[in-house]
Amino acid sequence: MKQRVQTTLLTCFLGLFVLTAVAQDKLTVSGYVKDAANAEGLIGVSVYSKETGTGAVTNNYGFYSVTLPKGTYTFVVTYVGYQRQSRTVELADKDVRLDVEMTEEGRELQELVVAARREDDNVKNIEMSVNRVGIKTIQRIPALLGEVDVVRSIQLLPGVSTVGEGATGFNVRGGSIDQNLVLLDEAPVYNSSHLFGFFSIFNPDAVKDVKLIKGGIPALYGGRIASILDVRLKEGNAKKPEINGGIGLIFSRLSYERPLFKGKGSFIIAGRRSYADVLAQPFLTGNLKGSQFYFYDLTAKANVRLNEKNTIFLSGYFGRDVFGADFGFNWGNATTSLRWNKVFNNKLFLNTTAFYSNYDYSLDSDLRRKPENTNDYFRTNAKIVNYSIKPDFTLFLNKNTVTFGGQALLYDFQPGTATAASAGTIRTFGLKSKYALESSLYIGNEQQASTRIQLQYGLRYSFYQYLGPGEVYTFGPAETPGLRSRPLLGTQTYAAGETIKTYGNLEPRFALKYELSPSSSIKLSYNRLAQYVHLLSNTTASTPLDVWTPSTNNVAPQLADQVAAGYFKNFGGGDGNLFEASVEVYYKSLQNQIDYIDRANLVLNKYLEGDLVVGQGRAYGAEFFLKKNKGALNGWLSYTLAKTERLVDGVNANRWYPTRFDKRHNFNAVLLYDPQARPDGSRSRWNYSATFTFATGTPATFFSNRFDFENIAVGTNAENVRNNYRIQPYHRLDLAATLQGRKRPGKKKEDSWVFSVYNVYARKNPFSEYYRPDPTNLSQTQAVRYSVFATIIPSVTYNFKF
Amino acid sequence: MKTTLSYLKPLRRLAVLLPLWGGAALGLGGFLMSCETIIDANIASGPTQLAVDAWLTDQPGEQRIKLVQTANYFNNGPSTPATSASVVVGDNAGRVFTFTDPDNDGVYTWKPAKAGDTTRVGIIGRTYTLGIQYLGNTYVSAAQMPRATSLDSLIFRKKTITPVSKEEGYRSEFYAVDMPGAVDYYYLRYYRNGVLQNRPQDISLAYDGAFRGSANTDGLTFIRPIRQSLNPEKLFALSDTMRVEMRTLTAEGYLFWELLRSQLQNAGLFATPPANVPTNIRNTTAGGPSAVGFFFVSPVRTRTAIVSKETLRGGD
Repeated sequence: MKQRVQTTLLTCFLGLFVLTAVAQDKLTVSGYVKDAANAEGLIGVSVYSKETGTGAVTNNYGFYSVTLPKGTYTFVVTYVGYQRQSRTVELADKDVRLDVEMTEEGRELQELVVAARREDDNVKNIEMSVNRVGIKTIQRIPALLGEVDVVRSIQLLPGVSTVGEGATGFNVRGGSIDQNLVLLDEAPVYNSSHLFGFFSIFNPDAVKDVKLIKGGIPALYGGRIASILDVRLKEGNAKKPEINGGIGLIFSRLSYERPLFKGKGSFIIAGRRSYADVLAQPFLTGNLKGSQFYFYDLTAKANVRLNEKNTIFLSGYFGRDVFGADFGFNWGNATTSLRWNKVFNNKLFLNTTAFYSNYDYSLDSDLRRKPENTNDYFRTNAKIVNYSIKPDFTLFLNKNTVTFGGQALLYDFQPGTATAASAGTIRTFGLKSKYALESSLYIGNEQQASTRIQLQYGLRYSFYQYLGPGEVYTFGPAETPGLRSRPLLGTQTYAAGETIKTYGNLEPRFALKYELSPSSSIKLSYNRLAQYVHLLSNTTASTPLDVWTPSTNNVAPQLADQVAAGYFKNFGGGDGNLFEASVEVYYKSLQNQIDYIDRANLVLNKYLEGDLVVGQGRAYGAEFFLKKNKGALNGWLSYTLAKTERLVDGVNANRWYPTRFDKRHNFNAVLLYDPQARPDGSRSRWNYSATFTFATGTPATFFSNRFDFENIAVGTNAENVRNNYRIQPYHRLDLAATLQGRKRPGKKKEDSWVFSVYNVYARKNPFSEYYRPDPTNLSQTQAVRYSVFATIIPSVTYNFKF
Repeated sequence: MKTTLSYLKPLRRLAVLLPLWGGAALGLGGFLMSCETIIDANIASGPTQLAVDAWLTDQPGEQRIKLVQTANYFNNGPSTPATSASVVVGDNAGRVFTFTDPDNDGVYTWKPAKAGDTTRVGIIGRTYTLGIQYLGNTYVSAAQMPRATSLDSLIFRKKTITPVSKEEGYRSEFYAVDMPGAVDYYYLRYYRNGVLQNRPQDISLAYDGAFRGSANTDGLTFIRPIRQSLNPEKLFALSDTMRVEMRTLTAEGYLFWELLRSQLQNAGLFATPPANVPTNIRNTTAGGPSAVGFFFVSPVRTRTAIVSKETLRGGD
């Protein structure tokens, strides 16, 4: 099967090369589009010829390519928030290289910060179910404790929700948090949070572009079934050195960027550290000395343009959370990606990425490694490591943009080792690493089929091998499904490199855009996605200590099929692009969704697979989005009506039940306000922003009955129902105001103060509700509502730039 | 409403139920401003079931088995006793103990025929069966009495309650050695000056003297976090008397306590979804009404010490 697929794909590739050779009497204009201020490549810039109205959009590296018949053309280069440029190019006898630098529009022009690509991108682009949020918008959204946050910001988009504030990760269209592929310069990040889920790991000073793909996922992407969060880092200012920084209540930030090799390259290095512990240090004496309580991250990226055709990028992220005095734990991600952009000719572009990603955590009963504890301690740790190489080709043809490539991804799951020392005896116990190789090949094409119809279609084939060495278990059917562990039938040992189990999945992708009019379009999409890793959690909200586990002989890969349809319309303003509106509906069917029996022990349990139960899921909903791009007041409104359910054998009496993150209604408003210039032309140094969120309460399971054991009230869920109750709705208003510092003539320094208020009307929003015995009298029962932020939280942040 | 600074309480469970988390609570609670509110709630009752509270021991004297009917979760009044049941316990050596409830309060007792008789119900290694006839149904249960280890010593060290506190007192540390050769499950509780301590955090469990799913600690001295787990947030004063009580459990019995403890300690950000505790009580008629509760037979080992110069040790 695999052989045949590979052959087919190869034939397709070859066919395409033949196609390119045919187009002889046409010539190509290609190049990079960059920001004039710092030479950052700009993603998604529209480059089109005035004469023919055809053109291209720059890719993730700022590269574009347009092929036209011989002649003289005026190319218009437009990008939201930047001054429009036009260049005249003569295509006489050879292809033309045209690199463009764009200048940001001044504030006088009522720059809009809600980034879109082209002004009519909403309607004209075939992409659906995609949201882009510019880092400038993210920086304007009122932030918890003043800390600008990528993940919290995307939760304001339609189709995105969270179990509760402070929970790790986010849920997209009924997917669980492990179903999002979070990419940091193409390397996957396994935990996108600091401090459980309160802050995300992305340093806003180092982020350039954030794109969330919820549906119509192109063949280029694979490996996760709900969404792709593609975070691209800044390349660093290639024109002049720059320092950015900020002082907030939680973090302090500092970044430095500068040109390299006389402007042929640049780098940026950005760090953040929390400092509650630093401030507390003088008060930590005696017992407390050496208490650790901090988190930090370091993001760095460098690029070198070797010549016109070759550019190399190296990006890295390292972050860690450490908590504890005696007993403590720490966790963190590290990623490194090396990318090579090669322009073979003006039609063929290659990006090759090699990456390494590591996520690990550990618990330690003796975080400070006190000398008196050398004979008595307890430590445990676990990690997941990835190595991958991934070539991605883009072939720019007339009316077609073909992407093809592949990926090899090696997983090393280290489910955990524990070391216990007791009275001088040291014992180590661990589960062996599990290895897997995920390989994929894909090809996709974006085709302008007619003036009104644009198509995007592709196929991805993923092939997964669960590899030895390892001990493999087989389990019999459970006596009572969903309640009892499956009995162990046998154990088999595999040697290193031996294939234990393979899975292959064909993942078709399809999207269609039909332009009803210049200002409206309808779009349809279908995609199938396969995912070979699973995150197991036994708490209602995910924790940093949840267990990543591979697909094995006992655990099949997760699969999702999604169809989505949408209507897109722009209206208002002089050019008809003042407002962008869209309505999308989706239906998603999910297979091999993991649940586990109630008493499953997820930690260091070698028979864990016998405690897992597998079910199916379904999610459907409608998303409404209205965005205003310009004017003193801009921002967006989003509303999502959704339902997310699961069906698991033996759970909830074999009936569908809502998932923990099912939210019927979810409404968000983001408003940004820049006061108009005064009649004398001067401007206020203040600008303002507000967000409002409303969401239906999440479902919860409660005990129905009680009995006493040893004078303790014991709860029972007599009919074993799941998520039979809904907690109170969630709503919250946040405000922020930014004061720009006075600009001194001749000085480079810019600064600003950001004042923000989180949870303005101090609502005690429920994070969860639960029933339990009264801690002061265990024979009495009580119902408890837990609120994470039960009060109003004001904050102030100072930002500077040199 | 109560505002809690001990935001990290739930993390204990997360950390494979580590009871010694004082340190990690540092600072976090302060800025998170999290809050627990007791709310009014009502929930529809499920069907009423027979509930068994039976923990027989190897101690001489009276043994009790309490039978009640389950009630609505929020019924905090006295529970309805299950009366007029017939309750019999037998062991695999042919001994039979009949439990009776002369005062009709659902508490069924057995005591030796005459005072001074030191007959023990529980004997290590024996298997026990419980038979209950109630409202036309027959319920049975079987339990083995597991082996026991001894509590070798009990000492105290001067500490502050949490790393951020100035309040000083004495933290206990008991020493025991796990029995080698098989997994042993322990339940620990303690008495302060003769009074059983029963806050949610006062239940301590050990799996081969460590945490379930941790290192292979078979046959080792109980690991330090367990040895110091009994009074983490409630230190002793000089001259206080502490009595530690250790009971060994079967694997399923351990699970019962582990899940019950997670019901008690459920809180906060990482609360767990409610899970039913297991039962080893079975209706002999398939499809008949099921019962809840548990039948334990455990050896009990204790150690008592007074906080004084003799029992004080330095260090941590």
